[in-house]
Amino acid sequence: MEFVAQLKNVSHGYKATAALSDVSLDIPAGQMAGLIGPDGVGKSTLLGLVSGVRKLQHGDVTVLGHDMSNRRARGALGARIAYMPQGLGRNLYPTLSVRENLDFFGRLFGQKSRERAARIDMLLDATGLAPFPDRPAGKLSGGMKQKLSLCSALIHDPDLLILDEPTTGVDPLSRRQFWDLIDRIRENLSDMSVLVATAYMEEAERFDWLAAMNDGAVIATGTPAKLRADTDSTTLEEAFVKLLPGSAAQDAGVTLRPRVAQDNAVPAIEASGLTKTFGTFTAVDNVSFNIPEGEIFGFLGSNGCGKSTTMKMLTGLLTPSAGESKLFGKPLRAGDMQARQDIGYMSQSFSLYGELTVRQNLDLHAKLYDIPADRRAARVAEVIAEFDLDDVTAAMPASLPLGIRQRLQLAVAVIHQPRILILDEPTSGVDPVARDSFWRKLISLSRDGGVTIFISTHFMNEAERCDRISLMHAGRVLEVGSPSEIVEHHGVATLEDAFVQRLEAAAAPEADSTKDVLPAARREITVVADPQGPLRASATRLWAQTWREGLELARDPIRMFFALAGPMLLMITMGFGISFDVNKLSFAANDQDHSPESRRLIEGFSSIPQFDEQPGFTTVDEMNDRMGRGELTIALEIPDGFGRALHQGTTVPELSLWIDGSMPFRAETARGYTLGLLSWFSDLIKSENGQSTTSSVSIETRFMFNQAFKSAYAMVPSMLMLILLLIPAIMSTISVVREKETGTIANFRSTPVRRVEFLVGKQLPYIAVATVSFWMMMALGHWLFELPFTGSLPALTLAALLYVTATTGIGQVVSAFTRTQVAAVFATAVISIIPTVNFSGLITPVSTLGPSARAFGLSFPGAWFQPVSVGVYLKGFGFGDIAPNLAMLALFCLAYLLLAALALRKQEA
Amino acid sequence: MLRSLLNTLRLTIKELRALRGDKVMIVLIVYIFSLAVWMVSMAASTEVNDLSVAVVDEDHSPLSARLIDSIQEPLFAPPALIPPETAEQAQIDGDYVIVVSIPPNFEHDLRAGHTTTLLLSVDATAVAFAGTGATYMTYLLSQAITDYLQPGTADSSLVDVVFRNRFNPNLRAAWFSSVMQLMNNVTILMLILSGSSMIREREHGTIEHVLVMPVRPHEIVLSKILAMGLVILISSVASLILVVQGAMGVPVAGSLGLYVFGTAIYVVAIGSLGLMLASFTHNMGQFGLLVLPVIVILLLLSGGLTPLESMPDWLRYVMLWINPSAHFASFAQSVLYRGSGLALVYPELLAIAAMALVSLTMVLSRFRKILS
Repeated sequence: MEFVAQLKNVSHGYKATAALSDVSLDIPAGQMAGLIGPDGVGKSTLLGLVSGVRKLQHGDVTVLGHDMSNRRARGALGARIAYMPQGLGRNLYPTLSVRENLDFFGRLFGQKSRERAARIDMLLDATGLAPFPDRPAGKLSGGMKQKLSLCSALIHDPDLLILDEPTTGVDPLSRRQFWDLIDRIRENLSDMSVLVATAYMEEAERFDWLAAMNDGAVIATGTPAKLRADTDSTTLEEAFVKLLPGSAAQDAGVTLRPRVAQDNAVPAIEASGLTKTFGTFTAVDNVSFNIPEGEIFGFLGSNGCGKSTTMKMLTGLLTPSAGESKLFGKPLRAGDMQARQDIGYMSQSFSLYGELTVRQNLDLHAKLYDIPADRRAARVAEVIAEFDLDDVTAAMPASLPLGIRQRLQLAVAVIHQPRILILDEPTSGVDPVARDSFWRKLISLSRDGGVTIFISTHFMNEAERCDRISLMHAGRVLEVGSPSEIVEHHGVATLEDAFVQRLEAAAAPEADSTKDVLPAARREITVVADPQGPLRASATRLWAQTWREGLELARDPIRMFFALAGPMLLMITMGFGISFDVNKLSFAANDQDHSPESRRLIEGFSSIPQFDEQPGFTTVDEMNDRMGRGELTIALEIPDGFGRALHQGTTVPELSLWIDGSMPFRAETARGYTLGLLSWFSDLIKSENGQSTTSSVSIETRFMFNQAFKSAYAMVPSMLMLILLLIPAIMSTISVVREKETGTIANFRSTPVRRVEFLVGKQLPYIAVATVSFWMMMALGHWLFELPFTGSLPALTLAALLYVTATTGIGQVVSAFTRTQVAAVFATAVISIIPTVNFSGLITPVSTLGPSARAFGLSFPGAWFQPVSVGVYLKGFGFGDIAPNLAMLALFCLAYLLLAALALRKQEA
Repeated sequence: MLRSLLNTLRLTIKELRALRGDKVMIVLIVYIFSLAVWMVSMAASTEVNDLSVAVVDEDHSPLSARLIDSIQEPLFAPPALIPPETAEQAQIDGDYVIVVSIPPNFEHDLRAGHTTTLLLSVDATAVAFAGTGATYMTYLLSQAITDYLQPGTADSSLVDVVFRNRFNPNLRAAWFSSVMQLMNNVTILMLILSGSSMIREREHGTIEHVLVMPVRPHEIVLSKILAMGLVILISSVASLILVVQGAMGVPVAGSLGLYVFGTAIYVVAIGSLGLMLASFTHNMGQFGLLVLPVIVILLLLSGGLTPLESMPDWLRYVMLWINPSAHFASFAQSVLYRGSGLALVYPELLAIAAMALVSLTMVLSRFRKILS
C-alpha cells in the first residue's frame, strides 16, 4: 500500500466557518508525515477526519484502504488506528494511576489481562515511566503526561498513529526525548505510519514528509528538504513564512533592541525565598530572584515545575507559605489594590469571559481598572488598533483562533498600562507567525514603555529574546542568566542544548529515561496478540468503563460521601418532618356565656392533644389581629345564653367558629376535628337531657394497611421512591458530560467501544452505589422508624434494582444530550424534582390526580415504584402483585438506554 | 466605597449579559415560572378534592341509593360501584382511597331498630387524605341517614355552628399551593444558578483573572447575587401577577410591595446559601449531590407542605434556625392572604436576613481558600 490515507475533495465546516475547503491529499504510508501550519487552519479537523473521530461532511476519505464514511469499516479500523488528541494529557484520567490508565486502554481493545500486563510493562520500560506506575496521571509533569498519552496510543500496536500537536507545552528535554522515543519505536515497527500535526517548525525538520496548510487548504507538500529548496530558504520556519500568501511573508523577524540599564533603581520584582506547599507537596521551593524595571525576564521549565504557582504568588493570587515578594520595593499583600493596578496578568488558559464579546471584555476591564470615563473609550480604541482586533470586536472569544485570543488576552492585560506584565505561557499553541507579532508587541512595551515583563515559555527562540532567563525544575530555580551567558557557561552550541544538559543533570536521579530503551522497545513486538472472541471482547470493553468509572468515583471521597450520606439525611429529616398528624392547633375561645356548658365545651377542646389552648379573646378585632399574625388557627365564640338554650331546647344556639384558611390542609383537618368534637358534645348534652343519644347506625372507620395511622409508615416507603430517583440521577448525570468537558470522550470516539457498552459500563457503578444506599435506608426504616415489613423482600429488592437502573438512566440521557456539567446538573434537578415530588404519589395518591397530571406522573418511573414500595412495606405485596410495575420499570430502563444511545454520537460534527 | 459600588454594578451587568446569552437557562426560567407553577398548583394538592371513592352496595335499597347519591363533588369523585369480592383487591391496588360498604338488609334493619354498621375502609397509606376524608365521609353519611329516616330533622341538631374560614373561604388549596410553588421554584433556581456560576468561573479560571484586578471578593459575590436575584425576583413577581393572580384567579389580599421586598431578601439568602454550598465543593458533580438534598429539605420542610407544628420539636427548631424557606413560607402566607403589614412580619424578614448574612460571611471567609 502506497498511501496510508487519501483525501479527495474534502470540505468541512462548523456552522458558518469553513475549516477545510476542498482538500485533496495523499499521505504516504510507512513514514513520519507531518502537517504544519498556523493555528486554526484545519490541521486538527483533518486529523479528526482521518482518525474517524469526526463525521465526514463532504468528500471521500480512505484510510488503510477503507472508506471512512462506512460505519462498519470505521468500526474495524478503530483497532488499527491510534489517536492522541490535542492538549497535554487530555485523554488521560487524572485520578487514575499510570498503570491504571494503561490498563483501561488495554481493556478498551479487548486485551486479556496477561497480554495487557506484558504490554504495559514494556511500554513503561520503553518510555522511562516504569519507576512511577502508581502515580496519578494528574500529578505527572507535562513531559511524563505526554509519554503516558503516547503509551496509551501504542498499547494496541496500531498501524497508523495520529498525534495532534503532541509536544505543545512541553519542556525542551521532554520534547527531545519524545521524538527519540518515536524514532526508536518506528525502527522496531517499521510498518507503522505516523501522522503528526505540529506548530514547532524545528521539529518538522525531522519528518519524512510534510504538508503545509493555510486557511483550510494545503499549500505545499513534500520532504522538508524539498520545501526548503523550493522556497530558497535555510530553515523550515523561513520556508513556511515564504509559502504564505500576502503580507504575512513580509514582516518576519523579531529584533531585540538593547535595554538601557538604570543603575541603582529599585527592582520591579524582588522575590526572596518564595515557597508554596499544597499539603505535603512542595510546588515551589525557596525561589529568589530580582528583576529590574524594564527587563524581559524569561521563565523556563517543564509543566508542573512550579512556574505558574510562582507567578500566581507574584500577582497576589496565592499567598506564599514562606518567603516574601516585593513590587517596586513594597511588600505585596493580598488585598493591596494599588499593587494590582500595577500588574497585568495573563493566565495559562484562556480566562476572559466567553459570554461577552471582544469589545465588551475590553470595556469591562477598562472599567474595573478604573480608567476615567473620559479616557476609557479612547483607551479601548487604542488597544483595539494596537492589537489588530478591529475585525473581531463584535465576535465572541470562543469563536476566535487561539492566536487572536491570546492577542486579546494581552490587550486586556495591558489596558490599564501596568508597569509589570506577568505572562504565563502566552504563546503556547500559537503558530510562529502570530508568535512573532506577539513578541514585537512585547518588545515595544518593554523598550518603549519601560514595562517589566515576566514571561514563561517553552520556545527556545523566545527564550533567546529575553534579557535574562531562569530555568526552573521541580520547584527550584536551577539557573539564572542572560541567554549568551548560559550557553557559554555550559560550553554548548545552542540554548536548547544548554538546557537539556542542565535538566538531564537535574533529572538523572529521578529517571534515566533515554538509556537502554532499545531492548525494551524491541521486546514490544514479541508480544503476541491473543484476541478474545467478540462477545468476551465486548464484555471486557464494558467492564473497562465500569472499572474506571468506579475507580474515579471511589477516588472522589466527597462525592462518595454525599452520595451515601445525602439519602440518609433526607430519610431521617423527611421521615420525622413530613407529618400529617396535625397536632397542637392553636385555639382560643371567647366565652360570653360563662355557663357550665360553655366551659365544658372549651374543656373538650383543650383536653385533646390536637388543640393547644391559648388565652381567650374578647373582641372580634382582637381575634382578627391574632389570627393575622398566625398565632391562632381556630377561634370559637360562644354567645350569651348558650347553656340556657341547650337545656330549654326551644332555640338552637349558634356558635361561631373561625378557622385560619391560609393553609388549607391544616384548616380542613381542624374543621374535621371540630366536627367530631361537637358531635361528641351534642351526644353528651342529649344524654343529660334524657333524649335518645345513639341512633341505631354506627359508622365504623377502618384504617387499612396503617392501622396506627402514622405518617412515617406511609412517608418512609414514599421517600424511598423520591430519594432513589433524585440522588442516583444527579450522580449519573455527570458521567458522560464530564468526559465531553475534559476531552476524554476522545477515547470513546477513537477506540472500538460501542455506545451501549460505554453507557451501560458507566452506569453500573452508580447502580451499585444506589443499591448500597437502598439497603442503608431499609435499615433506617427497620431500626429507626420501626416500620413493619409485610411483603416480599426479594420482590422489593428486584423492583429497587430496576428502579435505580431506570433513574440512573435518566441522568445518562440528560448527560448524553447536554454539553456542560452545569447544564446537566441543572436540567436533571429541574426535570426530576417537580414530577417526583408532586405527581408520583409522594403526597397526593396518583389515583386522585387529574388525567393530565396523572399521565405526566406515570411517564416517570417514580409513579410506578411508589405503589411497589408502599405495597411491599404495608400491604404485603409479593411478586404477583407488582409484576406489571416491574415490567414497566424494565421498560423505562430500556427506553432511557435507547434514548441515551441515540443522543450520544460516536463521531463529532 | 464608591468604586466598590461601581465595580459591583459593572460585574452585575456582566452577569446579566452572560445570563442573556444562555438560551437554555432562559427557557428553563420561563418554563418554571409559568407552566410549572400552574401545573403543579392546579393538579397536586393536599386539599380533599375528588377523592377516589368506591361503594360496595349489598343492600340495594332506596336508602343505599340515597347514600350513594350523597357522595358528591367537589370533595369526592363520583363513586364507583364495585362488587364485594373485588373491594379488597381494588384497595390493595390503590384504586380507591375510601371504600364504603353497605351491608345487606341495611335499611330494613335500621327501620326495625336493629343496630347495623356501615363500614368505611380507608387506605391509610395516603396519610394526607385518609384522616380528613374519613371524617368528612362519616359526617356526610350520618347526615344523609338522619335526613332520610327523619326528614326535616337533620337541621334540628342541638348546636348550630357557623364555620368561617378566614383568608381563604372555600379552603381552595390552589390559593396556597400556587404561592408555595412559586417559592419552591425561586429556591430551586436561585440555589443552582448561584452555586453553579461560582463553580463554572472557578473551572474556567475567570475568577482568578478577576482577582488579579483591583476587584475585591465581596464585589464578585454581591454582583452574582444581585444579577441572578434580580432576574429571579422579576420573574417570580411577574409569575405572581400573571399566572397566579391572572390565569389561576387567586386573589392576593396583601401589599404587593411588601411581598416583593420580602422576596428580595429571601432571594439574597438563597443565593448566598448556593454560593456557600459551592464553596464546599470542587466540581459540579459534588455540587449537584450536595444541592439536591438541600433543595428537598428546604422545600418539604418549610411548613408549606405540612404544618411546622406537626414536626417533632427538635426538628422544628432546627428548621427555624437554618431554613430560610420556613420563614419565607410564613411571611408569604401572612402578607398575601392575611394582608399583614410590615409590623407583623418583620421578625420573619429579620430571620431571613440574618441567615443571608451568615452564609455571605462564610462565603467571603472561604473565598481565597476556594482558589488554592
